[in-house]
Amino acid sequence: MRNVVIHDPTLRDGQHAVKHQLGADALRRYAEAADTARIPVVEVGHGNGLGASSFQVGSAAVSDDEMLSTVRESLRHSRMGVFMLPGWGTCGDLRKAIDHGADVVRIGVHATESSLAERHLGFLREAGAEAHCVLMMSHMASPAELAEHAAQAVGFGAQGVGIMDSAGHFLSSDVTARISAMVDAVGTVPVIFHGHNNLGMAVANSVAAVDAGASIIDGCARGFGAGAGNTQLEVLVPVLERHGYATGIDLYALLDAADLAERELMPAPPVTASMSIVSGLAGVFSGFKHRVVELSALAGVDPRDVFFELGRRQSIAGQEDLIVDVVAELSARQTTR
Amino acid sequence: MTELAESRSGAVDPVRVAVIGTGAIGQDLVSKIHRSSVLDCRLVAGRNPDSAGLRRAANLGYPTTAGGIEAVLAAGSPFDVVFDATSAASHRKHWRLLEPLGTVVVDMTPSNIGQMVVPTVTGIQAGTGRNVNLISCGGQASVPVVHALATNFRVTYFEVVSTVASAVAGRATRMNLDEYVATTGHAVTTFSGVSDVKAILNISPAVPPATFRTAVHARIDGADAAVVRAVLDPVAEQMRTFAPGYEITGCTVIGDRVTVALQVTANSDVLPVYAGNLDIINSAAIMVAEQHAAALHRTRREAAR
Repeated sequence: MRNVVIHDPTLRDGQHAVKHQLGADALRRYAEAADTARIPVVEVGHGNGLGASSFQVGSAAVSDDEMLSTVRESLRHSRMGVFMLPGWGTCGDLRKAIDHGADVVRIGVHATESSLAERHLGFLREAGAEAHCVLMMSHMASPAELAEHAAQAVGFGAQGVGIMDSAGHFLSSDVTARISAMVDAVGTVPVIFHGHNNLGMAVANSVAAVDAGASIIDGCARGFGAGAGNTQLEVLVPVLERHGYATGIDLYALLDAADLAERELMPAPPVTASMSIVSGLAGVFSGFKHRVVELSALAGVDPRDVFFELGRRQSIAGQEDLIVDVVAELSARQTTR
Repeated sequence: MTELAESRSGAVDPVRVAVIGTGAIGQDLVSKIHRSSVLDCRLVAGRNPDSAGLRRAANLGYPTTAGGIEAVLAAGSPFDVVFDATSAASHRKHWRLLEPLGTVVVDMTPSNIGQMVVPTVTGIQAGTGRNVNLISCGGQASVPVVHALATNFRVTYFEVVSTVASAVAGRATRMNLDEYVATTGHAVTTFSGVSDVKAILNISPAVPPATFRTAVHARIDGADAAVVRAVLDPVAEQMRTFAPGYEITGCTVIGDRVTVALQVTANSDVLPVYAGNLDIINSAAIMVAEQHAAALHRTRREAAR
């Protein structure tokens, strides 16, 4: 039976669904439940990672320091993970996270920009943390490009390298082609897959990723996450087990953690709402959803048009300021019509 | 006549300048120096003898070397102005070596050593033996807006988000993201008096490439979009006197959040039009050097009297 290592970014990617407003009590209670379930890595932070609390993507309710110390205290078995985008957070933020006891640190970069992670991966290796590199918005790159950037990240010191389906755009065949190419390119270095559920494909895509050789898979309790949500963790784990992959996670405790998450973290579990389907089809970062809906309503434009225009402009995660432009432009076009 | 107009009118003796670094910034600097009537490029120094940047400089007729900073130091009498278009780490070393020579060093890296200059805000205080810090592309683009907002409104928070096309984000930029964040944030605080600030840089791989843009977010109580816009229009006009591609493209107020969007296109023989990030910092650097040329000219004229 092959082992698959599950990473749980419920307390990081899930933040997108509640505009980064998770409080310390909620963080503590879920981290304890995840720890009881023996989930190997529990990731925490602002949705866009360390140092990302901002007007551009949303201000967090709780500081990075408090999030990290709260979750660290709650974990006895699980390792603590953090995430950071170069250009948003810095080595200073990484240092702080490691001092708080972060074990696994993921550097996120756009799919074709692995060179942005060079310095931070090097820093992490020197600091002694496990260093991963994840390529975001990976539907915007070909399998060959992803393989090239994965190999480059490994050259910079990444001990795990993978892709995020940040827009929830992939079908399973897309995932198979990409993960296979990456596994071929990086040999024994673990390959990571992080799915989103905009088109209802997250669990199936995660299975396809494992079948193609990925060995680290992300999932969130109840699928808590940006847009239509992430891969639903308590579905993913038993499905992987039925496929013959071992996760080491306790099913009953996992289900309890998911129930707790539904009660304490989210106003309602994520659904594949119309806007999330459009975001997935348009290939737009799932985290844009709230802002697109809000700004479109204020300007009286159709948010679906906004998503497709943002996709046409190849906007990437972090470019939330483009939403303002696109909404203003579509609104002006309407007025002159 | 202003010093700048005087220097550009050609009534000033050319000053000897050198450029270190042959990436996109260095190449565009050489081409902008080539256009200037008062800057005389006497050396272009790189590290790789086969680099396209050195070839281009040689084709324009300028002396080139792959000997880096050592070649600049070995050039006999010191240059009046040295443009350092390398990396923040290299610049720290270069400055230690150049400082004793009394050369004006124009620092294109985000090393944050010298005196920060944003031409329309600080003016250009030329002098000798000075390290002039051009901050960052995001700093050059945003500080004029930040300064105008802080002067006219009560601002409690500033955030500056820039997007640069992947094709014109060179290796030094990619390795210096931390310095970019720190230096840009420091400049925003220095020129606004607002201590709560954040700087962010996105690198976009979009095809066709995205034009360099910056969003300035500010927290201002009771701001009105039209009033904000009226404050900023003259700022943009002033910027266009030396960076013609500077344009404010949007101004949105939602509650206490003001977002000003601006973009800069390049006016360059070397750079693609979307590379406003490189153009704006280079345009400012050339302005600093021309100003210094005018000051030197005055000093020399007085000494000769």
